[in-house]
Amino acid sequence: MLDERKVKLMTKLALYEQTQGKEDFKISEYYRKDYAGMHVFSSFIWVTIGYMCVTVLLVLAGFDALMDSMSNSLMLMMLMIFVVGYFGVVVIYAVISSHIFNQKHKEARMRVKKYNHDLTRLLKWYEREKK
Amino acid sequence: MDGIFVMKGKLQEIYARHSVVFDKGVQFILALLVFYLINNNVGFMKAAASPVVTLALSVICTFFPAVMTVIAATALILAHMYAVSIAVLAVTAVVFLVMYIFYFRLTPKMAVVVLLMPAAFAFKIPFAVPLAYALVSTPVCMVAVMCGTIVYFMMEYVKKAAPGLSGKGLSGIMSQSSEYLKQVFQNKEMWIIIAAFLIAFLVAYTIRRQSVNHAWKVAAVAGAVINAVVNIVGDIVFGVHTSYTSLAAGSVAAVVVGLVLELMFFAVDYTKSENLQYEDDEYYYYVKAVPKLSVAKPEKTVKRISGRRETEIMDTESVRNRRREGAAHPDRGGVRPAARGSSEHGRGTSKLH
Repeated sequence: MLDERKVKLMTKLALYEQTQGKEDFKISEYYRKDYAGMHVFSSFIWVTIGYMCVTVLLVLAGFDALMDSMSNSLMLMMLMIFVVGYFGVVVIYAVISSHIFNQKHKEARMRVKKYNHDLTRLLKWYEREKK
Repeated sequence: MDGIFVMKGKLQEIYARHSVVFDKGVQFILALLVFYLINNNVGFMKAAASPVVTLALSVICTFFPAVMTVIAATALILAHMYAVSIAVLAVTAVVFLVMYIFYFRLTPKMAVVVLLMPAAFAFKIPFAVPLAYALVSTPVCMVAVMCGTIVYFMMEYVKKAAPGLSGKGLSGIMSQSSEYLKQVFQNKEMWIIIAAFLIAFLVAYTIRRQSVNHAWKVAAVAGAVINAVVNIVGDIVFGVHTSYTSLAAGSVAAVVVGLVLELMFFAVDYTKSENLQYEDDEYYYYVKAVPKLSVAKPEKTVKRISGRRETEIMDTESVRNRRREGAAHPDRGGVRPAARGSSEHGRGTSKLH
């Protein structure tokens, strides 16, 4: 005999496994600190590349003006702005990405916990049927 | 008004039954629209700008997640930029890379806004997109709106300036890149529009979250007014040419979009709202409860005109007996056939309300 409640639960589990679950299982393989740390590090690399790109764009945009008024003091000042700006951007992005990926891990763990709970319920049903 | 809500209910039912078809249909239309707009505006590479490629790309993107459409659109734009010059390709690629690194890597779902913005500009209703996201989403979308606007102005510049972009060698590439960046990022019109979108977004978002009656309607109208005012001020102060007719039409269209979104996502009955006040050990609570609007579906009245009649079964023997009796006693009247089973009226006739 088909048990309607069991079919509903199995559908719910299968739906989760085949959609959000795929990513959630990967995320929950890590501890939260490890997961967030890994992504903060990758953000650091990406932000460094992005910052270089923005600098290149800015230099290109002001290329003529820069060539006209080039001097040692101007170069030093620009270098300082570049370095300070870089550290500022890196810190801001580290904070943002740490928050985002911590939250992502937390949500994924909650969903996986709920999935495990449902799975246990299903197993209990099977055990009861065997008896 | 009830008719609209009934129609909304029916639409929701139809969507629930065929959601996959609807989702894929919308994805296909969006992809087709975006690829058509790209090819129509900056279609410098003839092979990539053909209708067959547009259609084929749209069909392929329909069967993948929405982010695939964004990737394909980016690749298509870069292919056309390559046909213009290496410098334009390099600058466009770097701008896209910066957008990806600083924003879309963290919120990939927002990438679709970058597609919607140029499409909305093409239909002269650019404010519809920021207003829609202000009503249904969070301020995180503002960055995506800004990126979409920048992409539109980049395409506009290349469309106009492509024939004049010439120069060979390293110096030619440098001067083209410099000119491209200057023209796009020092474009006052673009920054005024971005400022107007961002301010109007924040105003609409803030009002929408208030507990005032008709918050969504007020938010949509206020957002449209703020957007128009900032554009007009920018026009007067910075001398940027703005078409007031298209600005007004775009604002009205955006408000209409806002009202449709309210109907779909925030249908409440303010006449039945309740203001409650209570307290616990730590707080006093002032709660406003607004019931969701639900219209009962009109019930269908089914009137059955012809019911099933049961066949009458005659008891022939008793008829014969009665005839005989009738002949013997003619003063008792005629023959009355006896029926077995149900009455002669049958059982089926009924009215269902």
